[in-house]
Amino acid sequence: MKKTLLALALVGTSFGAQANAPGGPGCGWGNMVFEGQAGMPVHIVATLVNGTSGNKTFGMTSGTNGCDTSGALAYHGKNMLAQQGIMEEVAQDMAVGDGEALTALSVSIGIAPEDRSRFKQTMHENFSSIFSEEDVTAEEVMSNIRSVMKSDEKLATYS
Amino acid sequence: MKGIFTLLALLVGWSAVAAQASDSGLAEHPRWKALLHINQGTTWRYQGRSYVDDPDFFLHENGATDAQAELEANIDQLRPPESDARCRFPARYRFLSEQLDWPDDGGLSHCEDYVEWRKAMPQARVALIFPASYLNSPSSMFGHTLLRIDRGNDEDGVWLSRAINFGATVGGEENSILYIYKGLVGGYPGYFNNVPYMNKIRDYAHLENRDMWEYQLNLNESEREWLVAHLWELQDIRFDYLFLDENCSFRLLELIALTRPESGLMDSFRIAEIPVNTVRALDESGFIESSVYRPSKAKELDALIQRLTEVEKDLALGLSQEERVSETDAFQVLAPKRRHLVARTAYAHLRLNNREGERKQEVAARSLALLRVVNKTPAVKEIEPERPVSPKKGHGTKMIAATGGTLGETGFGEFQARLSYHDWLDAPTGFLKGATIEAFNLRVRKAESDDLALERLDVVNIRSLAPRNKFRKPASWFVNFGLDRRFIGNKRHLTRQVQGGGGLSWSLGPVMPYGYAMARAENNSAHDPFVSTAAGAKTGILWYAGPFQAGLDAEGLYYQNDDVSFTTSATLNLPLGPDHAVRASIEREGGRERVETEFSLSWRYYFD
Repeated sequence: MKKTLLALALVGTSFGAQANAPGGPGCGWGNMVFEGQAGMPVHIVATLVNGTSGNKTFGMTSGTNGCDTSGALAYHGKNMLAQQGIMEEVAQDMAVGDGEALTALSVSIGIAPEDRSRFKQTMHENFSSIFSEEDVTAEEVMSNIRSVMKSDEKLATYS
Repeated sequence: MKGIFTLLALLVGWSAVAAQASDSGLAEHPRWKALLHINQGTTWRYQGRSYVDDPDFFLHENGATDAQAELEANIDQLRPPESDARCRFPARYRFLSEQLDWPDDGGLSHCEDYVEWRKAMPQARVALIFPASYLNSPSSMFGHTLLRIDRGNDEDGVWLSRAINFGATVGGEENSILYIYKGLVGGYPGYFNNVPYMNKIRDYAHLENRDMWEYQLNLNESEREWLVAHLWELQDIRFDYLFLDENCSFRLLELIALTRPESGLMDSFRIAEIPVNTVRALDESGFIESSVYRPSKAKELDALIQRLTEVEKDLALGLSQEERVSETDAFQVLAPKRRHLVARTAYAHLRLNNREGERKQEVAARSLALLRVVNKTPAVKEIEPERPVSPKKGHGTKMIAATGGTLGETGFGEFQARLSYHDWLDAPTGFLKGATIEAFNLRVRKAESDDLALERLDVVNIRSLAPRNKFRKPASWFVNFGLDRRFIGNKRHLTRQVQGGGGLSWSLGPVMPYGYAMARAENNSAHDPFVSTAAGAKTGILWYAGPFQAGLDAEGLYYQNDDVSFTTSATLNLPLGPDHAVRASIEREGGRERVETEFSLSWRYYFD
């Protein structure tokens, strides 16, 4: 019991850093796939009060500048991929050929419902070239997706 | 001259409108009260006035306490065309213009920021989201709730929805003891946040391994309009955040009540707003249309593991540590679909273990290699975890019980009352198996020859069994503090105690064995030192048999001053419908000088 309390208190004292850094280190969509979710102790403290740390976010339309996408209300493919931890969900869905993250990506790119299964299939078939290496960044992934779409007769109309 | 006339006419018109407003009792209108967040007797604090202290939320200096004055100030300031106040309070403007029949004079079209925000803000559907219990965080122990607002009418693109969350905003370098204290007495600023829903999926389902329940609400377009317009009014408005009643769930309940003030959602007094009760209140008031279950990453891994043979499990484990296992004969002889399952399991396992902490190059490389194996093998459908029973169908969160029994030669009667919430032998439907979360659990006992006496009070009692398997090695733990009774010498003494421990548990079909190492500190009237400390162990088995739950346990504690205490017990809990249960128990307890056997039979009634 004492230990638990002590651990709780210690967790508390490490608070102060920023909990979420969408866009990852270096900003400019430089976040890489399979990034770790750093700053977990901070995160635990924030959940103590179901809250957020530091800044208030209300989702303003002007929040779409370089590093921080947490405030952006509308999505396009790239700022979705820049959300921390989302790119690996997209990678998993692409590898399998289906999934909610991949569906959401297709919606955010603007693919019409009738073309979504084609989009998913095409992404699935080109998985190795889209996620070409483990250090691929959100920006590179997005540009790889675009070039795969361009070489598909139907999907080319979206780019 | 004509100008003055018009002005006069306007003035007369305005005062007429103002008079009409006060006469018609508009300040008492349920929606007006909802817009101002007036406490209509739902919680202890601030009854009859607004929950909000923030002056930015009011147009009159006494607006927080005087709904009539606030109404008149709003009529004054929202009535003129193109007024700035309209852009701050679009929902109030809608309310007044509808109630007072204001002419169409451009409405909110001059509010550029608001119009732009509304264009980008989704409002096709609204869902209440319930991430289940998170035992490692005191305020999330009972679960959490938030709202999700969708762009479209289908499940596609739910990841692109917005999440509306009410929580305390913590900014300084403070420790968590202070958090809890301030959370209880007030002093934390609470704000509404509007963040991407996918970030919430990541936080709860992916990082904290909490299952999420998504309850679709049947709000119509006009009702959703109230909600979204009012959210704009709440931007940067400071509330107080209190753990027990004025918490995340309560504020959402208020928001939903605004959309349908006649629903009676806020009519009954709410002592402590437990998130699952918010879900139930909405269900009872007819708001919930359907529900979707979103399993956590851990549940997804468990579902994958269940589909594998023992040989395949070992292969998956090996593959998650070394991708070259995919080139071995043992892996290659598997059918393509089996290879897919093994690779997915290996990948899920690897990612689950590496979601936290810094990015590791070697792990990233292996993750991608495993996904390539997944990619090259045919996908297997329907590997989602089975959907459990919705938490809203679980037993009531409050409980009273009547017990009769004997301790040694003496008969006794006992009354029990528990404020919340669940112990691991209560019916597990809708709750976490192997978890106990109890707060303010009181037992008073009348023995044949004695006066009525306190038998036990658990202020907090949390036990968490996290089963271990080949893939996952979590620790189990428990924490308990309050008052209890035990034999010291020849007599049972009341002790003020705190105890806790760490241990291991497993899941073998319906049976969960466990073991804990434990420590205890207590204060009693029999020992000389103010605080006696003890160390010991506790072990047991839970059996979730379907129609009933049973538990066996044994505990031994050795005190620093050479005292000892032993307890062994067998308990059977038989639910009779969702609201009742019968519980029978045999317990052997004692110390160095005396050991007695207790038999008891209880009737338990769950409510609220």
